[in-house]
Amino acid sequence: MIPHAIAMLPSTAMLPSTAMLPSPAMLASTASLGPKFALIVPEIVVFAGAVVCAVMGLSQSRSTRAGVPWMAVATLVGTFVVMLKVWTPEAAAAAELPMPLLGKYVIALLCVVGVGHVLASAGSVDRAIERQVASGTGAFDPVRVISGEFHAFLLFSLCGAMLLCHATDLVWLFLAFELCSLPTYVLVAIGRGADRSMEAAIKYFFLGAMSTATMLFGFALLYGATGTLELSAMREAFQMQAQVGGIGTVAIMGMLFTVIGICFKLAAVPMHFYAPDVYEGASNPVAAFISFVPKVQGFVTLVLLLGTVGWDASGNAAIPQVVAAVLWMVALLTMTLGNIGALLQRSAKRMLAYSSIANSGYMLTGILAGPAIGVDATLLYLLTYGVANLATFGSLAAIERNGHEVDSLDDLAGLRVRAPMVATALAIGALSLTGIPPLVGFWGKLDLFMASAESGQRALLVAMALNSGIAAFYYLRLVAGPFVAEPTPRTQGVAPVQSLWPRVSALVFAMGCIVLPFAANQLKQESAAAAMNGPAAPPAVRTAEK
Amino acid sequence: MRILAETGLVNYVPIAIALSMAVAFAIVNIGGSALLGPRREGDIKGDTYESGMSAIGTARKRFNVRFFVVAMTFLLFDVEVIFLYPWAVAYAQLEPQSPMSGLFLARILFFIGTSVAAYVYAWRKGVFRWD
Repeated sequence: MIPHAIAMLPSTAMLPSTAMLPSPAMLASTASLGPKFALIVPEIVVFAGAVVCAVMGLSQSRSTRAGVPWMAVATLVGTFVVMLKVWTPEAAAAAELPMPLLGKYVIALLCVVGVGHVLASAGSVDRAIERQVASGTGAFDPVRVISGEFHAFLLFSLCGAMLLCHATDLVWLFLAFELCSLPTYVLVAIGRGADRSMEAAIKYFFLGAMSTATMLFGFALLYGATGTLELSAMREAFQMQAQVGGIGTVAIMGMLFTVIGICFKLAAVPMHFYAPDVYEGASNPVAAFISFVPKVQGFVTLVLLLGTVGWDASGNAAIPQVVAAVLWMVALLTMTLGNIGALLQRSAKRMLAYSSIANSGYMLTGILAGPAIGVDATLLYLLTYGVANLATFGSLAAIERNGHEVDSLDDLAGLRVRAPMVATALAIGALSLTGIPPLVGFWGKLDLFMASAESGQRALLVAMALNSGIAAFYYLRLVAGPFVAEPTPRTQGVAPVQSLWPRVSALVFAMGCIVLPFAANQLKQESAAAAMNGPAAPPAVRTAEK
Repeated sequence: MRILAETGLVNYVPIAIALSMAVAFAIVNIGGSALLGPRREGDIKGDTYESGMSAIGTARKRFNVRFFVVAMTFLLFDVEVIFLYPWAVAYAQLEPQSPMSGLFLARILFFIGTSVAAYVYAWRKGVFRWD
């Protein structure tokens, strides 16, 4: 809100008559921001909750500190309720958002899955120091306690991802993008308190900074090519250029740089190298978080930006050929390299990191299929991936071996004996990621396959089918290990973590994989509505025709 | 001159003048003192600072990390105060008691509220403790 007040000053300075002071007329022009501000109430709730969490985490009283995760959960629940109240089609239309109902879908998704992420980390943050304080062997030391920061940064990151949906210009888009990114670097660093997590955070931060710079350079070129930062004006400029003789080289270069920068967040080839190292260094709950939220961030940004280049409401994909070709290559390579990489891993976390790379590849096929056909499939897949991914990663977060995080696949052998519920959740999550019907992952994949078929992307369709087959090999290791293999001496020390909530989170989201297909039609309608460009109209339900 | 006017570069002429003045100022001063200044060497003359405290030790000494935290906190609140200036300038232009002025006030109060929260956080975290 403040930057807008500042942004007015230079514009008034250009008018010779009004000297340096903004005229009342200028101030009145901010009235048009009203509808926009009416929609960001959910983000304000998240932000305020994050601030409260940060301060609560430093309280002298143990019970107040223990309340921090619950504060975060309450914040997300409150955000969800506020969003339902605020985000009406009329309000979205008044705010002139490029995709009016995208925010509703994404915020709901982030709130629901976000609660799962908070619960999955319950009890693991500040474990050592809180145990010392409880047993009286150590005093409370505000410098060493990190629970408040952990939850605050988690909420800040979610807040950034939510704000992305409100973007109408590149500046807003970039600020929200960074608000989402920066806290994730901190989360990786503080989530575990080990040297390896510091190393992972440093890698993540510097590579992230580089990718952001790449993206920003793309933005600069786009601005140079169109002379505007507004997404809608940029779209008009592109449409005009396309009529006159094709979109210029500068604009296409800008789009390419931007897409490559976003690929980092998606962990898509060629910006995927960091993923296994960073996930391995981060704690399990944090790895779950950064395998989901940055993907939402990346895909929302991609959808908004490609929407400006030439997708129109009628669904004609007119992304420049070069950009489409690059995206095609990225999608193909991402799913193939991701799956092949996953086959070679001994560490469950590295394997899931490669799996998250491969899933980005699948989701890119939806983007390539175009707005009316594929974007809703991508959004639906984000949901199914988020739920199944949390069931899988959450299960890893819910068990430990001799007080340390479980990492190797060997630790999972015979898990059914040591922790039957967690083993079940892990198996369901892995099967859903494989795409076994009737679990929710199947419906997500089915929609992507249909979109690829409908848009004539045969090669991608075949590649995706082959890759799903390859993926089954390694996902089934997460089922076979716990349920078929016998416990070994190594797995003697494996036990559920002390806190109940990571188990609850994993189980609830595993249940979600089973229950959500019953609401598949509803979910498809919601994602179809979210994927619509232009003013909100009654959602055109594509699923009804199938 | 015509090329300047046609390409719109004429708008940048004041910048060019300012730049050349800055460069000329530097050249004249450095050149002037090199030509006219007296050259006398000595212990005092060779000191890092000719006036004020005499320097102790090496410049490559390590600083306590607390200085860094304090500097960061200072920067944070300093920048926040800068944000208040444009707001104050804009706020004076609003009609009193209009809904717009209420909105502007609410926004800045929210902003200051976050600063207060940051202050409480820093305090509780022990940033201001020096022992």
